[in-house]
Amino acid sequence: MKMTPGVLIIGALLVFWASAFIIAGLPAATMKEKPSDIWRPLTAEEEAGHRLYVANGCSYCHSLFIRINDWDIGAERIAQAGDYVGQEPIILGSERTGPDLSQEGGEHPDDWHLAHFTNPRYTSPISLMPSWEFLGRQEVRQLTAYVQALGLKAADYRTARQKYWKQQASAAYAAGPDANVEWIHSQVPEVWRRMPNPYPADAAALARGKRMYQDFCVNCHGPIGDGQGPAAAYLYPPPLNFTTLRRHLVENRYIGGIFYYQIMNGITGTAMPYFKKHLESEKIWDLANYLGVYFVGYTDANIEPRGIDAAYEGPWQNPYQPPAKGAK
Amino acid sequence: MPNALQKPQSAATAFMLAGAGWFVVGALYGMVSAIHLVAPEFFSNIPWLVFGRERPIHVNTMLYGFTGTMLIGCGLYYVPALLKTRLWSEPLAWVCFVLWNLTILSGPVCFSFGYTQGREYSEYVWAADLMLMVAVVLAIYNMVMTVAQRNESQLYVSVWYFFGAMLWTACNYPIGNVMWHPKTGAMPGLIDSIFLWFWGHNLPGLLITPLATGAAYYVIPRVARMPLNSHTLSLLGFWFLVALYTHIGGHHVLQSPIPNWLKTVSVVDSVSMVFPVSIVVINLWMTARGVGRRVWGDPAGRLVMGGIVWYLVTCIQGPLQSLPYLQRVTHFNNWTIGHAHIAMLGFGGYIALGAMWHILPLVTGRSVYSNKLVNLQFGLITFGLTGFFLDLTAVGLIQGSAWNNGETVYRVLPELAPFMITRAGLGIFILTGALVGFYNAVMTVLGGRRLAAEELQRAEEPV
Ligand code: HEC
Ligand code: HEC
Ligand code: HEM
Ligand code: HEM
Repeated sequence: MKMTPGVLIIGALLVFWASAFIIAGLPAATMKEKPSDIWRPLTAEEEAGHRLYVANGCSYCHSLFIRINDWDIGAERIAQAGDYVGQEPIILGSERTGPDLSQEGGEHPDDWHLAHFTNPRYTSPISLMPSWEFLGRQEVRQLTAYVQALGLKAADYRTARQKYWKQQASAAYAAGPDANVEWIHSQVPEVWRRMPNPYPADAAALARGKRMYQDFCVNCHGPIGDGQGPAAAYLYPPPLNFTTLRRHLVENRYIGGIFYYQIMNGITGTAMPYFKKHLESEKIWDLANYLGVYFVGYTDANIEPRGIDAAYEGPWQNPYQPPAKGAK
Repeated sequence: MPNALQKPQSAATAFMLAGAGWFVVGALYGMVSAIHLVAPEFFSNIPWLVFGRERPIHVNTMLYGFTGTMLIGCGLYYVPALLKTRLWSEPLAWVCFVLWNLTILSGPVCFSFGYTQGREYSEYVWAADLMLMVAVVLAIYNMVMTVAQRNESQLYVSVWYFFGAMLWTACNYPIGNVMWHPKTGAMPGLIDSIFLWFWGHNLPGLLITPLATGAAYYVIPRVARMPLNSHTLSLLGFWFLVALYTHIGGHHVLQSPIPNWLKTVSVVDSVSMVFPVSIVVINLWMTARGVGRRVWGDPAGRLVMGGIVWYLVTCIQGPLQSLPYLQRVTHFNNWTIGHAHIAMLGFGGYIALGAMWHILPLVTGRSVYSNKLVNLQFGLITFGLTGFFLDLTAVGLIQGSAWNNGETVYRVLPELAPFMITRAGLGIFILTGALVGFYNAVMTVLGGRRLAAEELQRAEEPV
């Protein structure tokens, strides 16, 4: 074959357009826009937030679809074509420097997002996400509206739950620090409340707990556990001051089970996130011991009822005494 | 009309110099992006220097600005040279130059303030899309007229590739950028991802690849002083390229809910890409067989050959990461960033630089200011890029396997740190390479030794 200008130009265009027809034309003609079970249109405020999401390049760090092999946030729902109807543009994303956001709505209450957008390190100390404080409060509110809508109807279900518990938690907080802790503890299932930490608070465990605390908790609960981290200024109710827990031990001795449950499950409605996706059992028990030893001055580790010790445990004796009855 | 705009080959020179300049700009933005992935509080809360805005500036400036611009500059020289004629209209090429570079300038100017369409590789705002389109159409017109007045009946393979690149881009760009929706530049719903990645893959595949391949086909036989190994092979490679590359955009959204038949087509064709790629690589290496020392010994030839080596690496990696099972681990993380850099800098960038150093003396009549500096640039970039590749591939595997085994993105962040620091460190080498190259190119044009008439004639001699 000889490449004449005619062959070159006409041939190149023919092959190209044939391919374009298959790859872009056919899908355009055959892909039906059918809303999925969770689909709903976006409100005006959410649309504004979506535009900010596009304009500020959130998509270079966040994806918007869940795959079958995902475990992180949103993994409860694998993406379906009908989730995206009418959104323009829907930027699926190609990089996960941060987590997928397709089901972000209702993961956190609005005040968490305010603190997080102001400076992501406030809520997530090792985050690589930029601060968006410069956008100003109004745009941060729009962005929040958008991320709270991610997941659409599924998100609405979750945000409604956040709002409901936000009301309860705020009322409890307004009733004073002691009433607040009593209320929070009354929400923990009965079986967890009288459960001591089954694992020793030895030096290694406390060191692991400390590392975890620095990576996840420190900018809310503060380096001394008084709840005065930099995020506190944005959150209501503010992060718990652990030092007050000394007077709220269950039967004046148990706290490990409550810690475990709260860290695993979070306190929906407050900024306290759940950590069950980030941290598994050992890490949570280590954290519970760390909080106890450093901020409450007491841990119930290894006290009765204790069952058979795990095979790795050494002969560790709990040296911590519960506070004297009635002491403040 | 000012004389400068009529001066033969002045537009080609301008394109090449602009490319060298954009390389520096893009590297600066790359450095800041890399630093932000180490220390997000560095330059915090500066609206025009926030990661989500600076990253697309880096990427677009590198792709369109550095590799694209420099390779177009080379083409504006070698197409007429191969046709034994002059560029049909130098002023028209200058108009093309201004529009093309305004488009690239719109990146830093617009993205910094949030004016972007936000779809990866299609971020330029609509007005800039228009400028780019006009520039490409003008280039095609100029080329067609140049072909019409040619004095050489054969069209050499480089001419096809340059033509192809421009023609395909003229068709591709408006589709992928959904230019009939000026406000968003996007289709509503999931179908948009198919349009987006149609261009997203054709930008490397049908713009950068043919431009770079064309340039390599021009430089290698000349540096080797050997005739091209096989014209038939180059013909096959050309048609395979356009037939296969256009089908594979789906591999970017392979795990999303797009139709299964599209995924199948994209995977099959991605794997088939080994054919056109091997053809190019084999054809060029066979051309240089026996005279490898001559090619590797020539500063410009070395860069082009290096580019072909990177092409091979890229295109071994590419089909592998298109396989759905492997992509569960390699997708969404720095593995892909590694691939993108060896593809765009290793393949596109090396060949662009090599071709520029080969062609600059031919268009300016001056010898390259310093061949030592060309070698230094090769060394700096090769060290930086090899490091990038190893570093990003390793950290990508760490991320991908951790996620696949149930770790959260947040938990893996601390493990990125040493790799992100290394990448930023290596970036300094590439940035220095860009600066050295820019200085060398400007000095060549301003103060390179004037080549004597017979030297120039010898240099221009076809093989
Ligand atoms: C440099 C990359 C980067 C950019 C750009 C970025 N993020 Fe993030 N984002 C992260 C990382 C890393 C995390 C995880 C740590 C954290 O919670 O901050 C995250 C977390 C989040 C979360 C919390 C997810 C959760 O529930 O744990 C939201 C919401 C979020 N980003 C929204 C955005 C929005 C909106 C933008 C754009 C305005 C954006 N991000 C831009 C990296 C980024
Ligand atoms: C974004 C801020 C934030 C972060 C991060 C955070 N917390 Fe909290 N935490 C809170 C808030 C707010 C409350 C509840 C305040 C209230 O309702 O009064 C809380 C409550 C708790 C409680 C309940 C105590 C009880 O006695 O019931 C525990 C335990 C706790 N946090 C532990 C942690 C640990 C451990 C981490 C890190 C792994 C952590 N928190 C991270 C904000 C945070
Ligand atoms: C100074 C040297 C460079 C540095 C420090 C650098 C750094 C970066 C960084 C930090 C990113 C974003 C990665 C992420 O989001 O995780 C990136 C992306 C990218 N860079 Fe560079 N880069 C450099 C040079 C280049 C060159 C020379 C080219 C091309 C010629 C290039 C092409 C790209 C491309 C195409 C992407 C997007 C990758 C993707 O989305 O998959 N870079 N670079
Ligand atoms: C045989 C050839 C090739 C194949 C099969 C291939 C395959 C792929 C695949 C599957 C991805 C997506 C990875 C992911 O997101 O998980 C990808 C990304 C990419 N490829 Fe290639 N590739 C090839 C050659 C090239 C060449 C020659 C270039 C450049 C000239 C290139 C540039 C890129 C870029 C820039 C990306 C990053 C896209 C993004 O932002 O996510 N590739 N490639």
